[in-house]
Amino acid sequence: MKDALPTVDPGDPDHRSPGRYLWWLARHQSGPLLRGIGWGVLWMASLALIPPTIGRAIDAGVAARDVGALSIWSAVLLGLFGLQAAAGAMRHRRAVFCWLSAAYRTVQVVTRQATRLGAALSRRISAGEVVSVGVSDVEHIGSALEVVIRGTASVVMIMVVIALMLATDLGAGLAALAGVPVILLVGAPLLGPYRRRTRRLRELIGELNTRATDIVAGLRVLRGVGGEKLFAARYREQSQRVRRAGVDAARAESMLAGAEVLLPGLLTVAVVWLGTRSALAGAMSPGELVTVYGYAVFLVIPMATLAEAADSLTKGHVAASRVVAVLALEPEPEGEGDREPARPADLVDPLSGLVVRHGRLTALAAASAADARAIADRLGRYTEVEGADVTYGGVPLRDLARLRERIIVAVNEDVLLSGPLTATLACGDPARDVDAAIATASAEDIVAEVGRDAHVVEAGREFSGGQQQRLRLARALAADPEVLVLVEPTSAVDAHTEARIADRLRRMRAGRTTLVCTTSPLLLDRAEHVVFVEDGTVVAEGTHRDLLDAEPRYAEAVTRNETADRAHGTA
Amino acid sequence: MGAQILPVASPRRVRAYARRLTLRHSRALAGALTLHALAAAAGLIVPRLLGDLVEDVADGRAAAGGVVAAIAAFLLAQGVLQRQAFYASARLGERVLAELREEFVERVLALPLSVVERAGTGDLVSRTSRDVGNLAGVVRFAVPDALISLVIVAFTAGAVALAGPLLVLPGLAVIPLYWLFSRWYLARARDGYLRESEAWAALTDGLAETVAGARTIEAFGLQEQRHRRTDADIAASWARERYTLHLRTVFVPGVTVCLGLQVSATLLVGGIGHIHGWASLGQVTAAVLYVQQLAGPLERLLSRLDELQIGGASLARLLGVDEVPPDRAPSAGVVSTGFTRPVLEARDVRYAYRAGRDVLHGVDLTLRPGERLAIVGPSGAGKSTLGRLLAGVHNPRTGTVTVREDGAADHRVSLTDLPLDELRGQVALLTQEQHVFRGTLRDNLIMARPDATDEQARAALEAVRWDGPDLDAVVGSGGAPLSPAQAQQLALARLVLADPHTLVLDEATSLLDPRAARRLERSLAAVLHGRTVVAIAHRLHTAHDADRVAVVEDGRITEFGSHHELLRAGGSYAALWRSWHGADDEASPGRTGPGVSPDGS
Repeated sequence: MKDALPTVDPGDPDHRSPGRYLWWLARHQSGPLLRGIGWGVLWMASLALIPPTIGRAIDAGVAARDVGALSIWSAVLLGLFGLQAAAGAMRHRRAVFCWLSAAYRTVQVVTRQATRLGAALSRRISAGEVVSVGVSDVEHIGSALEVVIRGTASVVMIMVVIALMLATDLGAGLAALAGVPVILLVGAPLLGPYRRRTRRLRELIGELNTRATDIVAGLRVLRGVGGEKLFAARYREQSQRVRRAGVDAARAESMLAGAEVLLPGLLTVAVVWLGTRSALAGAMSPGELVTVYGYAVFLVIPMATLAEAADSLTKGHVAASRVVAVLALEPEPEGEGDREPARPADLVDPLSGLVVRHGRLTALAAASAADARAIADRLGRYTEVEGADVTYGGVPLRDLARLRERIIVAVNEDVLLSGPLTATLACGDPARDVDAAIATASAEDIVAEVGRDAHVVEAGREFSGGQQQRLRLARALAADPEVLVLVEPTSAVDAHTEARIADRLRRMRAGRTTLVCTTSPLLLDRAEHVVFVEDGTVVAEGTHRDLLDAEPRYAEAVTRNETADRAHGTA
Repeated sequence: MGAQILPVASPRRVRAYARRLTLRHSRALAGALTLHALAAAAGLIVPRLLGDLVEDVADGRAAAGGVVAAIAAFLLAQGVLQRQAFYASARLGERVLAELREEFVERVLALPLSVVERAGTGDLVSRTSRDVGNLAGVVRFAVPDALISLVIVAFTAGAVALAGPLLVLPGLAVIPLYWLFSRWYLARARDGYLRESEAWAALTDGLAETVAGARTIEAFGLQEQRHRRTDADIAASWARERYTLHLRTVFVPGVTVCLGLQVSATLLVGGIGHIHGWASLGQVTAAVLYVQQLAGPLERLLSRLDELQIGGASLARLLGVDEVPPDRAPSAGVVSTGFTRPVLEARDVRYAYRAGRDVLHGVDLTLRPGERLAIVGPSGAGKSTLGRLLAGVHNPRTGTVTVREDGAADHRVSLTDLPLDELRGQVALLTQEQHVFRGTLRDNLIMARPDATDEQARAALEAVRWDGPDLDAVVGSGGAPLSPAQAQQLALARLVLADPHTLVLDEATSLLDPRAARRLERSLAAVLHGRTVVAIAHRLHTAHDADRVAVVEDGRITEFGSHHELLRAGGSYAALWRSWHGADDEASPGRTGPGVSPDGS
């Protein structure tokens, strides 16, 4: 196949409606699609031509006892199988290409949309919805595009075969002409219960899988405290529910399996009966009778394909509607500026009164964690407050050029991305000083244990919470932005390590603008300047020790002591 | 990382298991196969009747109406039988499937503690989701399809033989060709499809990661990198899809051409036979139609073979979970339930996760009944390992961890000799790793003690200052969301309900707001009065509140004593405490810090 995947630029998807999206995909692969349809028609034609060939062979060769004709027709028959093999393979190759091309392109556009939305994504749509696009929707979309090939070829072939039957025997042809739509109409209602029950079965299987993975994910906890019998019993109950739903679905499907034989069978009987009558009347040869029988049997394939096509297109449409919902989202807050900040640049949040001085290590201690987070979100322009623009070097963030490059707000929801350890910490930039960052984050032991190039699995799941936190910190430090905002960067780290990180952080960020949101005395003690926030506004500033002595509420918030201890300490 | 530690069953065991499974369901299986055979037989009579019809027509006989009626009757019979056969085999399949997955989950639930701790969840999760899923596909579709196709192929061959024994010869002649194509295909298909689905999984995992990490990707400017990664994943997937496509491009047309050879040879041989008078027109017609009808079942049979291979591999991985050797050999008669004041003792304990790399170097520790011991130290020092040994999860490499009655030094029981139920009555471990199970809050609580009443459950919740939903609320993934702090409270409540003599808490309150953590620990102390508590902590107030503190550094206990003793000693603990508590410079050892005695103030 000359087409290579993926396409370098997936293009700008038409997300006005699910139908338009599918059409957009089809337009981008119209060549393979049309060639596939061509091969599909040829493939089905070779199938359809087998019955008349056998019929001719029986008439002209076998019944007429003519070895020459028999040999010729046998050779033609073999040739038809050869054509069927070749055309079938070509059709299949185009079909697979179209399936994959549609699925890949969808993954590409959804990925690009996710990175475009950034932090806005999780606020606008649940992650599960977007992930289900990758898990099931792309497959349905692929199938919808692929089935177009076989569906179109089927429609063409049904018409051609009925025309051939009409030409062979009017009665049999008319029976087929009337029978095909009747069969499709009678068969369709049987699909209803089957689809409903398989959908229910799939849901139950999904829930059962969730329970099983839930048990496995919590296995350490479970094996630690007990409850094996309880959980085994719960799983068994649910598994039996799945079994019953499976039997229900099978009952509906078995009706289809029976109908698959019966409905076309009735058509076959009608065609054979009418054919026999014309044959007995002398209007048709025995071979032609075999031919019309063969046609009637052949019609099963394109009719089944049409039923499948209807199903795939419906599912594809539903899947496309989910994709379109993701694609239609717009990032917020919008816009990007191009102004440069004045130097030296302070970061100022007028709403809280916070000023992060240029080149200093500032710590922000908030009585409530939510306050600290709200301020951090504003400093990174993840949220905006009307009339209280955060400014950097005097420039409102919305007008600032290259905001994300200058200011990094690192939070604990950040995830480690999969890949080789040091490469993922360097964000793929070999110029970054990862080793210094790893040392500052006191993560040398992790790197030593697993190796510099150890593969980090998705979200760094195989590291403990504290290890993940130190690695995330190392990544943020390695990025070395003009302004680094760290939110609770050591909340899962032990006191010894935290103290070490605090010392090294100050050294590594010397002369760089840094804000650490924390309530840990170990970090606060090592900051050059501490800001205390209560009810969303700055109420006191100074060094940790000044504030401890002068501001009892600060002391209460950060020393983790209850009032009694504090009273004793200051006494 | 991510190493596969769990074993995989040998092919012999898989075959033995499949045999047992067949025997267990032999009657249902025989019934389903009989129905399929009858349906196939009914279907095969139709071409034969058509052959008769052709002869009637050729001879100009007018009795054709009866034959057409017979065709109709047999089609009806085939339809009904097909339906029954499908239903019977599907019902059997669902039953087998339910057995397979239930047995698997029971095996998982019986995995030894130390294996669960070490293996990580990746391998088990993939067995639970991917292998159970693969097997479901095989049991639902591939096995019945292959069996049915086999029945039809066999019956069709028989029908051809009945129509005219010599007409079987062309079919027999083609068999080696089928065999060659299948062998070529099957030798490559399994690996090809496995690698194809791996590449596909990498692609969809990549998308999931991009979605989950959208904020991070934006913050660190990784957009272009993610696009490149997606494109690389697509290219890898495409290459593997092309490989299997190539396999099918050879195999499927090959089978079609073989069939063409068979059909045209049957026609040719039959026609010559008719000319020479040893085959009737009806026989030839029926035989050719039979062979032509083989196309469907034959292709289905051959194309299912590679799925059966994959199913076998999945089954081997599911059965493998059973082959993990037990990590504890509870000796008969070892009892500890009589202990009223149990003393937990570690003697010269060493432990290594990897041979030659001890993480504990000879630790001695005796826990007094009812005391609160805090273990502090830098991460990686071996605190958590010590905790696991004290909880009986791991056996020490050398040395012993035993439990005895206070004052009775002669009757000691090694923790790993205790049956699991007894061990849990003695000591429980609670780690930082929290998990809220999908289900009611009640199920999440009483798992530790299934006979607990609602009053007892509520009392346990009260002890941890529970502020979440009530017992009937559905929690866990998809249920009412619990904050990380609530998850930790829930885990503590489980332990309160289980009520072991000794609790090992490994960073068990680290996710709570600092002040809430301290309040919770104090209320727990009241509930757990008389119980021995070992608290591994990174917050120093935990150490401050404890009776004794052990500082663990580099796999050794370097400082040991009460908070005040350690402060006076002026070691690393004292230095840390001062820095943490905002006292003057670390260099002033004379000062003891403000936290002299909170209880005495």
